[in-house]
Amino acid sequence: MASSPPNVRLSLAATAENVVLVREMLSGVADGIGLTAAHLNDIQTAVTEACNNVVLHAYEDRPGPLDVALCLLEHAIAVEVRDRGVGIESRENAEDDGIGLHVIRTLARTVEVDRPYGGGSRVLMEFEAPEATPLELDREDLEARTLKLAESLSLTTVSIAPIALAGTVLPRLVSALAARAHFSTDRISDVQLLADTLVAHARTAMHGDRLDVDVEVEPRALELHVAPIVPGRGRGIVSESEFDGLGRIIEKLTSSRRVRTADGYERLTLQMTDRR
Amino acid sequence: MVAIDTATSTLSLNSVAGEDLRQLFERWQQDRDEAAREVLVLRFMPLARNLARRYDRSSEPFDDLLQVASVGLLKALNRFDPNRGCSFASFAVPTILGEMRRYFRDCGWSVHMPRGDQERALKVREAQETLTAEHGRAPTVNQLSVYLEIDQEQVIDALQAGQAYEALSLDAPRPGAEDETMSYGESIGENDDRYELVELDATVVAALKHIPAREREMLRMRFVEELTQTEIAQRVGISQMQVSRLLRRSLAQLRALTRDATSRA
Repeated sequence: MASSPPNVRLSLAATAENVVLVREMLSGVADGIGLTAAHLNDIQTAVTEACNNVVLHAYEDRPGPLDVALCLLEHAIAVEVRDRGVGIESRENAEDDGIGLHVIRTLARTVEVDRPYGGGSRVLMEFEAPEATPLELDREDLEARTLKLAESLSLTTVSIAPIALAGTVLPRLVSALAARAHFSTDRISDVQLLADTLVAHARTAMHGDRLDVDVEVEPRALELHVAPIVPGRGRGIVSESEFDGLGRIIEKLTSSRRVRTADGYERLTLQMTDRR
Repeated sequence: MVAIDTATSTLSLNSVAGEDLRQLFERWQQDRDEAAREVLVLRFMPLARNLARRYDRSSEPFDDLLQVASVGLLKALNRFDPNRGCSFASFAVPTILGEMRRYFRDCGWSVHMPRGDQERALKVREAQETLTAEHGRAPTVNQLSVYLEIDQEQVIDALQAGQAYEALSLDAPRPGAEDETMSYGESIGENDDRYELVELDATVVAALKHIPAREREMLRMRFVEELTQTEIAQRVGISQMQVSRLLRRSLAQLRALTRDATSRA
């Protein structure tokens, strides 16, 4: 994973409910590349083990981050699960008797477990995935900005490159978050329309072929922060969603929209609510 | 198959701890001592159950998963060599998971949407309609999960699968639509070949004209009249999942048509 930049990176708080988001992300990637249900099931089961291990044992009772990175390789998918908690060796003999690691070893083609410099633990798994193929990335764009870890544990941050891959990943992730915000199925479908629209118009507005979205969940409200947008293009994402006779799709679906500038990039914030 | 009913067994689990596992394996594997096997099954059944539970979020019934895991456990008990120095768990986990993966493949998991997922998507769609009729508005994922007694993640997956499934079942007869004899395919309007007819100088307005009439009308209801997707579903006589899928598709087509028009202009 160190040699190639990830295609999807998810930073979230290490909680049981967030493991669902990791699985939704994996389903989104599977949809995007046409992975069979059997392969997806293996990957989800193993990655769930690695994430549950972080949730249950990495931070004891304190909150802490969970970081998942996915990389598409030639006929394979690599997934890295990291935390900043106590080392994995000290968790190995926890109550599940190390079954989790046996499960991962059975389902993954290769597994590496280590403690990277800077603390925490890292589980790197590589899975067979006949349908996978590396996607072309503009490395300079990706490396120009350091990928940030979740700044706040109340945020779910996803970073997807190339943006084309976001087409299947982002709608799934935001649907799961909308469900958490107690949205009705009606509004969850609207959230998918918004995610589709965002991905379509982001292609020409983002700095590089990468889409970062931070999502905040409140009861019946969802806030999406979209970055890194080329300066001056933030409002364009909203205005370009206009079709004559229908209006601006993004405006119709959201309750508020604002653009802010930070670190030389623009950041578009969209709020959606479900008033009933 | 051997009965693995832990509840009715007369053997005490406590006796396992004191007894040498290696001896039990020898008694079973060499002497075919059924009593020894039963002790081993009782001792390791929690492992099989534990592994079956890991697949509980799939659409397959838990009892079936447990049954398959138990078969895997029996195979592992037959094949494990206690003299090789590795723990039984390290041998049994791959054996049991191998059995489960075979089972999933047999259930259609080698394709993109297994049968179980299709059935669940239909159940969620039905529940959505029932609850909408009951409360007069679309349900939340939580309400669907309580009503169907499945967890929220399974509902979210079913909503996704539902859209894909609706796309597959366009020719299924649609009861209760405006015209009882119409299939989904007929009820959503003209044939997709029309998209080929985009003129070189097509404008955005023209793009909308290339969307089938029924979908154009649904877009208008959602974005001009600002009806909810459930209200549109009721007006048009199709499910909300279907409305959702058609809106997503027609917006994608509009964008593609507009992009083509702009790039050719």
